[in-house]
Amino acid sequence: MINGNLKSTYGADERVLNNRYKQLFVWLSAIVIAAIPLFANDYVVLVAAQIGIMLIAVVGVNVVIGYTGLLSLGHGGFVALGAYAVTLIHVWLNFLGVPAGIQPLIAIPGAMAVSAAIGFVVGLPSLRVKGVYLAVATLSANFIILFLIELDALAPWTGGRTGLTTVDPNLFGWVIDTQREVCALIGFMAFVSILLIQNLFRTRVGRAFIAIRERDYSAEILGISLFRYKLLSFAISAACCGLAGAMFAYFYARVLPEQFALLLSLQLVAALVVGGMGRTMGPVFGVLVIVLSPELLKLVFSAIAGTSAEAAQFRAPLQEIIFGLLIIGFIMFEPLGIAQIMDRLFRMLNRWPFARG
Amino acid sequence: MKLNRRTFIAATGAATAGLAAPTLLKAQPTEYVIGASLPLTGPFATAGKLIAPVLTMLQEMVNASGGIAGTPIRVTSEDSGYIPQNALANYQRALATEGSNLVAYFGDSTGFMKLVAPELTGANARFMTSTSFASELADPANNPYQFLPGPSYEDQFDILLQSIKDQGGSSVAFVYSNTEFGSDPIAHGRERAEELGLNLVLEEVTKADGADIPTHVTKLAQSGAEYAILQGYVTGVWPQLIGGARQFGLPTKFMGTFWGMENFIADRVTAEAGPFLEGYQGVMPFRYFYDRENAPRYDEYAAFMSANFTGTPLENYMPTWGIQALCGLEIVVRCMRDTAEAGKELTPDNLVEALHAIDNWDMGGFFGGPISPASHKIGTGRVYQYSAAETKFSPISDWFTV
Repeated sequence: MINGNLKSTYGADERVLNNRYKQLFVWLSAIVIAAIPLFANDYVVLVAAQIGIMLIAVVGVNVVIGYTGLLSLGHGGFVALGAYAVTLIHVWLNFLGVPAGIQPLIAIPGAMAVSAAIGFVVGLPSLRVKGVYLAVATLSANFIILFLIELDALAPWTGGRTGLTTVDPNLFGWVIDTQREVCALIGFMAFVSILLIQNLFRTRVGRAFIAIRERDYSAEILGISLFRYKLLSFAISAACCGLAGAMFAYFYARVLPEQFALLLSLQLVAALVVGGMGRTMGPVFGVLVIVLSPELLKLVFSAIAGTSAEAAQFRAPLQEIIFGLLIIGFIMFEPLGIAQIMDRLFRMLNRWPFARG
Repeated sequence: MKLNRRTFIAATGAATAGLAAPTLLKAQPTEYVIGASLPLTGPFATAGKLIAPVLTMLQEMVNASGGIAGTPIRVTSEDSGYIPQNALANYQRALATEGSNLVAYFGDSTGFMKLVAPELTGANARFMTSTSFASELADPANNPYQFLPGPSYEDQFDILLQSIKDQGGSSVAFVYSNTEFGSDPIAHGRERAEELGLNLVLEEVTKADGADIPTHVTKLAQSGAEYAILQGYVTGVWPQLIGGARQFGLPTKFMGTFWGMENFIADRVTAEAGPFLEGYQGVMPFRYFYDRENAPRYDEYAAFMSANFTGTPLENYMPTWGIQALCGLEIVVRCMRDTAEAGKELTPDNLVEALHAIDNWDMGGFFGGPISPASHKIGTGRVYQYSAAETKFSPISDWFTV
């Protein structure tokens, strides 16, 4: 019988994947991520890419909300920044004559840096206000970023309200010009993002974020600079969203301002809340629910009621209502998110019949 | 059986035919599918819910008249919530579930059409029309599989500006929403106004739902514009902007484009807020449904609607949004029939070829005359004026071709 997750060295305890189950899960996930672009049909590839893009962004949102305890409702704006920045950087690199094969190596970090820089600025109110006040302050970031993108004066660069046609990345001569190929890239980036962010919380910086979340005054008394770490948290979080935006731009042939409306920011926070804040797997579970539920509901309802236009009229609002109820249900019955439910489930499986959740 | 050269050839021939049978069967599907994304929830749900039954009507009428060379059609639909990525997911799902049976698709927005355009290659390509009249989409060179079921917004601006000129107007204001829909024809309209010698005295951008309308009315009053063209609104700003201008005593004549010309919305606004829409003008690519003289296809729709849509808003009147969807899909069906009757597969390339071959087609309603959509749009329209007393739009110009 397994009665605990025992370690005999500090090194074993500090590992990111500190038991065999986690290792097995990560390897299986890697196999699934690799298999989807190889074997799935285009629809599955599209949904998988949507999951991957949103996952990278929610992993970032988790840093600022879940680990640092700073509520932000403006992160959709950083995704938009990443999407537009990566496209524009490619244009400039072409203008400068930089070889196409190395452009993504500059454009992707460049887009992340732009988002991080703006995230640093947007994070400034967090030094003075907290909670719902900070949420309102960050909300305005979303509107300001979209306003600037749509502004006629900037339209020669941003495309204004008509958007920009995106570029196909070229990695050392491999032109990633199909959604299937970009999906593979997104899967890789999502995988790496989760591992890197998980690793962050084994470091001094990550522990400082958690200390701020628990009690910022106490953290400051302990010598943690709130100015430095709160803004760093916003910057890291925005960089992740910038990466998600860059992947978004590579995946879709066009970026339009309407794709980054307030709904996106709300979806990012909803996914985190449903999945579990401050947990590594929280974003994964949350994004799966937020992206897959509407798709599964459509498939189930179309199987029951048919796909005719008239049936769709009745199915559509019903699907929305059930999706809303699902979200409410998750929050009501497990406020700590699906990560907590999964913890209980795995504990039960691991220690059955002595533990039942 | 003794195996000799003849029996060997016969056996090989039979085996080849057996192996080829599935391919032959695949080339002749049991049904053709037309997919659709509609905004059944979200800001444009009103339009989506009115269009949905119209798609079913078309399916039943086409099948009742023999389908596509004997093969029935099926129209499938899914909600997009007016979100381009959702519509793209719907399209990909339809491709995955319907496969090669899916021969055409009806999109719900400019955003979706732009998003999907670069994906329409190889096995993922399908013949496509939509609710959008965005000028960029009528581009056979760059968007070979997409077409507009009417004139682009730029064409509609041309018609309105020409009409202003013909009515003796000399100054005009453009009032448009801060959406892609709103700004689509503005740059072109600016040039056209200059060409016609019209003085463009004001360009005013508002929110799509018309916030801060009093400010805009004041600017309009200061500009002294004789005509104001509204672009990028479904109907939301009529009461505030036009009603506000009338309260202010402005003599400005207001005009709109396709999405601001729905008769039953004008009637509803008149019933609820008074007759301030009296004299409102606008361009309409299609004949209104009550204009049924020499329109046999409209008569067929009317017969179907009175028999099947009893007690609904569609019993006696087809909104212009439904007419637009029907027009696009009638052209799709015509291309499918022409292609099938020519013995060709219903590939997107063959359907586009059939589209290009349509010349002077009288659709039995819809337009003022026969159409030739080879340029992937139908550049025709007419100026109508609303009468609050008669509660209907009536034509005040002949058909323009642009």
